[in-house]
Amino acid sequence: MKSGTSISTMRCATGLTRRGILRGGAGLGLGAALSSRAGIQRSVAQDASPANITIWLGGEPGTVNATTEILDRFMQENPDITIETTFVGSSLFNPTLVPALNAGEGPDIWMGGSGPGQPQAIIQAGHALDLTPYYCSLGWNEIIPEEIVGYTSSDGKLWAIGDSVETTLMFYNSAIFAENGLEIPQTWADLMAACDTLEAAGFANPIGLGGADKYPISWWQSLLWGRYAGPDGVNDVMFGDGSWNSEPFIQATAKLKEMNDAGCFGANPLAELQDDIEARFWRGDIPMIFSGPWIIGPGIDAVGDDIVNFGVFQVPPPVDGEPIYPSADIGTGWYINAATEHPDEAADVLNFMLFNEDSRRLMLESGDNVPVGPLNLEGVDLPQIVQDVFALSNEYRDNGTIHAFLDTVTPASMTDVSYDGLQAVLAGQMTPEQFTETVQQSWEAAKAEGEILVPGGVTCQ
Amino acid sequence: MAVQPYSPTIDRVRDMPQSRRLKRHTLQRYLVAYLFILPVLLLYVIFVLRPTVQTFWLAFYEWNGISVDREWVGLANFQRLLTDPIFWQAFQHSVIWAVIVVTFNLIVGLVAAALLASSIRGRLIFRLGYFLPVVQASIVTAMIWRWIYAPIGVLNTGLDAIGLGFLARGWLGDFTVVLPALAIASSWMTFGLSVVILLAGMQGIDPTLYDAARVDGAGPTRMFLDITIPSLRNTITIVILLALVDAFKVFDIIWATTEGGPIRSTEVLSTYLFKEGFQQNQYGYGSAIAVALSLIILVSSILNLAIRERGDD
Repeated sequence: MKSGTSISTMRCATGLTRRGILRGGAGLGLGAALSSRAGIQRSVAQDASPANITIWLGGEPGTVNATTEILDRFMQENPDITIETTFVGSSLFNPTLVPALNAGEGPDIWMGGSGPGQPQAIIQAGHALDLTPYYCSLGWNEIIPEEIVGYTSSDGKLWAIGDSVETTLMFYNSAIFAENGLEIPQTWADLMAACDTLEAAGFANPIGLGGADKYPISWWQSLLWGRYAGPDGVNDVMFGDGSWNSEPFIQATAKLKEMNDAGCFGANPLAELQDDIEARFWRGDIPMIFSGPWIIGPGIDAVGDDIVNFGVFQVPPPVDGEPIYPSADIGTGWYINAATEHPDEAADVLNFMLFNEDSRRLMLESGDNVPVGPLNLEGVDLPQIVQDVFALSNEYRDNGTIHAFLDTVTPASMTDVSYDGLQAVLAGQMTPEQFTETVQQSWEAAKAEGEILVPGGVTCQ
Repeated sequence: MAVQPYSPTIDRVRDMPQSRRLKRHTLQRYLVAYLFILPVLLLYVIFVLRPTVQTFWLAFYEWNGISVDREWVGLANFQRLLTDPIFWQAFQHSVIWAVIVVTFNLIVGLVAAALLASSIRGRLIFRLGYFLPVVQASIVTAMIWRWIYAPIGVLNTGLDAIGLGFLARGWLGDFTVVLPALAIASSWMTFGLSVVILLAGMQGIDPTLYDAARVDGAGPTRMFLDITIPSLRNTITIVILLALVDAFKVFDIIWATTEGGPIRSTEVLSTYLFKEGFQQNQYGYGSAIAVALSLIILVSSILNLAIRERGDD
């Protein structure tokens, strides 16, 4: 595994420039560096008075289980602090959190999105605590890459801790590939040929896509838009004067449609649900699935030792000769309620949960979550497939990275339009030109309302 | 002889004029009733009435649901409704949904209730079977129908098995059939209640009417159309009303299966309301949709009652 390519985050001042965040994706540290962690303080709470901390969290089962275990360990080490965790499903998070915060009944800590839209509104309403003092005094600034800080800060203040880095890759069933004489596709033509071969072999869905759930199509959108436009092309729209209806994005959307028409996703991906697709992938009914490392944990649960029959590869460049840009995006953000009675204790909980060496190892071993910053992999028991994910991300990271989830860094209104539009494109109800035009209109409207992401940055004195 | 213990209250009551005594007695009786009602009334006011009034009030604001500042926009949210094509599309889908659900509840419910009212073998099992989906969590029902409608699900496999494989399709991904497909699934969830109500109505019909009809040579169909249906007028009105309200406020089964997709082909007013309010953080506009939905349910219910009243005349 390459360790030399991982980024170093040993810095104190992280004043971000606009160009800094333009290159942001390139810096999201999927690196598996062997690093020591100096300068992280144990706690900020001075007194040992009893405190009750409530936490609302969501996420994949592996992450939730690991988080619960970490919090149990924290309580064992800090018997005066009691932590109550509540799991809130993603679609219910907003409708539950917002009224709770408004009523002054919100949790002390919550795990939420970190893009534009609701997180911004929550911050503007004064519900999120400024974490900058902890960021500087507890040494988080030595761990969290500045690009991630850029996504979770504004006005020079850190509002959330971006806890993890996520990527998307093509997972495949190596046993099925071997049975059908297939190698890992090196070119786009290889990938399409693999689709044909697998379809001819009786696999109705050569590549699983849960189009009924909308968001999995958006992963493809993020990949292909990024691959066609490149990191600079995407960032030029995100933070510059570029537009989503320019040629690279139209071509990328047309490519997605082309894959669909070729039968790669089966007869009607819009009828498929992502949970079912994932289950069928692990059962061996679907040979390939484009997803993220968070499926590995449930995969190990499903197939046990047979996980060795599954592998991962980077989707080849859709245009021959173009570089492979790995995808990477921030995971979730952790917030502290501005109205909490125990801010220091809450910060200690986050410090333990996200920056304690053992906690980070446990989180990594959950298979669902790659903690931010340099990782110490010594003694970490990782399945080969997880190691391959790291290796693949590192291998191409110097090319620059693209967004894994454009839907989390663009305004909610654009996400809504994109979700429906992508379904319409696959169903032949909308052309790539019409789709990109609709997205651009939504983007312009959001931009005019000041709802798009702006580069942040924090400086420790 | 038992000695009446001294009681000033009893003495005072005894001395009162009769009308005053009656008034006080009535007041005491109602007071007890009001005390019994009070806890529920309080809960109703706090958790139903207040949020309802608040929703109406919010419809006149532009608010992201979080910030302290709300901007008064008057009728702007309602004006936007009138020109919002997605709202009208969702409204159209809600109407189609309501027609399917009400028709299914009424027709299938009537037939099932008529069969259960007869001396059919295993009535109890059928009654339980029909009613089970009503008490089942709607998310469970949604999961069941997800499997039924899946591309390699029960329905397509069944169609293949009986030689109708050409009808097989990805039901939840085909925007031409997904709305009625889900409406039928939703009807399956609610029609058990209609069967119970209709069955209760049927059991209240005077059996001598059927005896007389039989003497006159009427067959089962004739008796069903000329005795059962007219006798169930009020019951049918209730069934339609309940199904109508249920149909317009449907959310869970759609959200758990398609989230309003594909391409908004199952977008109904309640899912659109949820998206605008809670996903787009447009609480004002979301509230305006909620107000519109309430008015639609109110108007359709009044229409239903008015039509029945007119029929009675």
